[in-house]
Amino acid sequence: MKRSYVGVIGLSVILLANIIFTQLMVHQFFFQNYDAVLLYMASNIILFPVAILIYKKERDKGESGYAKK
Amino acid sequence: MKDKKSIPAKDDNYTHNISRNNERSLDRRGFMKTMVGAAGMFAVASLPWGTIAAKELMGLSDKEYPHQKIVDVKDIAIGDSVEFHFPSENDSAVLIRLSQDKYVAYQNACTHLRCPVYWVKEEKEMICPCHHGKFDVVTGAPTAGPPRRPLPEIIVQVDNESVYAVRVKRYEA
Ligand code: FES
Repeated sequence: MKRSYVGVIGLSVILLANIIFTQLMVHQFFFQNYDAVLLYMASNIILFPVAILIYKKERDKGESGYAKK
Repeated sequence: MKDKKSIPAKDDNYTHNISRNNERSLDRRGFMKTMVGAAGMFAVASLPWGTIAAKELMGLSDKEYPHQKIVDVKDIAIGDSVEFHFPSENDSAVLIRLSQDKYVAYQNACTHLRCPVYWVKEEKEMICPCHHGKFDVVTGAPTAGPPRRPLPEIIVQVDNESVYAVRVKRYEA
């Protein structure tokens, strides 16, 4: 089976985005740009289901690979 | 169980009862699970910030507090400062009289790590003792040291020979 790193890399990117958004969010909060805070919160929340999606995709891929074997 | 030496010798089967078949895939999968969990943590952790921000946006922004008397005009000389608390008991602030009828007031918790900033008359600057942050007295903008954000300005008003705090000015976006 050829190893695929897409899932792991995708999740890493998501976590990186999470970190960046959180950082920006906290900063904007102290600058009292509350719209921006809401925006970043929304992005952070949306990233979570995306992460789940990536995980599920990767998991199913793995399963079929082993089923064949 | 036989003698230890004989076990690895023959067919190397001393791990026969350990299934390693799916180990790698499970490893990666477990790792990915952790990552998804971390993403979830981020999502949950941003909730409180968002809720407070939303609350702040809904009408509470730029709210008028009951005007609060700070000091009588006769009790504050030009170039002097008074400390007071506004809008709540826990928000310390400082009022500075710059000229005959120019007053400025700021919440004086340093925007670096919230040490109390005080007015130094001789140097015409607001100084934070903790890490030598300095603020411009006219605008509240940081001029030196670690602080990066201006001090929140308090709008004041002179009425009947006393100075009143009216509201806290929001940062300009
Ligand atoms: S707390 Fe004011 S400079 Fe660090």
